[in-house]
Amino acid sequence: MPDEADDAARRARFEDLAPGLVEPLRRFLVRRTDAATAEDVLADTLLVCWRRLDDVPEEALPWAYGVARNCLANAQRGVRRQVRVAARIATVDPPAETTAPPGERDDAVAEAMAALPAADADLLRLWAWEQLTPAEIGTVLDITPNAASIRLHRARGKLRDELRKIDDASGHEESREGRSR
Amino acid sequence: MTEPFDHDDELLARLRAADPASSLTPVPPEGVARLLEDAMSHDVLTESRESGTHGRSLLTWLVAAAAVVLIAAAGAFVFLGSDDDVAPIPAVTEPTVTELQAPDPSAYEARCMVPNAAVLSGRTTAFSGTVDDIDGEVVTLTPDRWYAGTPTDLVTVTAPGAQLEALLSAVSFEDGERYLVAADEDGRVMVCGFSAAWSEDLAAVYAEAFPS
Repeated sequence: MPDEADDAARRARFEDLAPGLVEPLRRFLVRRTDAATAEDVLADTLLVCWRRLDDVPEEALPWAYGVARNCLANAQRGVRRQVRVAARIATVDPPAETTAPPGERDDAVAEAMAALPAADADLLRLWAWEQLTPAEIGTVLDITPNAASIRLHRARGKLRDELRKIDDASGHEESREGRSR
Repeated sequence: MTEPFDHDDELLARLRAADPASSLTPVPPEGVARLLEDAMSHDVLTESRESGTHGRSLLTWLVAAAAVVLIAAAGAFVFLGSDDDVAPIPAVTEPTVTELQAPDPSAYEARCMVPNAAVLSGRTTAFSGTVDDIDGEVVTLTPDRWYAGTPTDLVTVTAPGAQLEALLSAVSFEDGERYLVAADEDGRVMVCGFSAAWSEDLAAVYAEAFPS
């Protein structure tokens, strides 16, 4: 039956494309939310990739990040989500950041990022953790590469300012603890 | 300490050192295969009339075939075993689905009027129902009461990309909660308070708009 053949072809394309997306998407999500939500949103994102397989561009990963970002925003709404998370957190590993040895954790970065406007922190994550170019960031956020460059430049400036404030405030303590660098 | 992070590469290095995903262990191949299979078989469970038999997995065909055999066997047994009048055994059916879409993005910016029965009465689809599922792009509801439109077992509202976020903002669909929803003849869900969480006041407006 022609339909069966189409379906088999579609499955083959998905099985070819999707495995390479799984780890990057997992990292993307773990950087932005708790483990339980990350797991749910990963499933949502792969489902959208399957449904919209024909829309997936040649450079699939930035597009997939955009999908994950939307799915994450949807998943983060509502009181019910908090109830689900509370119920599952007991059986799921804690977020990756708390498993790093205390001496190597850079709390100043987390504090500085939290102090920035959400959009700026968003850009900085895509730049530093997903390591995307301005063009790729543009794809994820649905803005032009130029706009991405400009906003990223401003965001970096703001992060520097925040880090300086925090580093100055903690001064001696940090150098005594010996930040690894 | 030295004045740090005036240069992008130093800032980058510092950020990367704080990456929460740095200690994430990869999913083993069987886990990846399961993730993919879950995605590919998800829609089999909430299948629409439009897609018909496309995309059904072999397992679904086997289950359907087995069900048909059972029903045929049961039918034969009843036919042969009794002279009494027997109600026809219902055939295996897929759930019927009404497919709606998120409205045009401009609908969210329109000036809103208070929901009233006069405007509502022109809609071709109106129902109250409970949200079963919100996945990446689709909200699925189980209707409990139909005010207008052909009753179906399920209703889906599809909103591609960032439109789902806008729709959820406007109507605040949440898993397990009950809503009143109306849509026009193009299948576009009404916002501006016409579709919203169930309340006695809004239900009264719906009842007024669609006297049975």
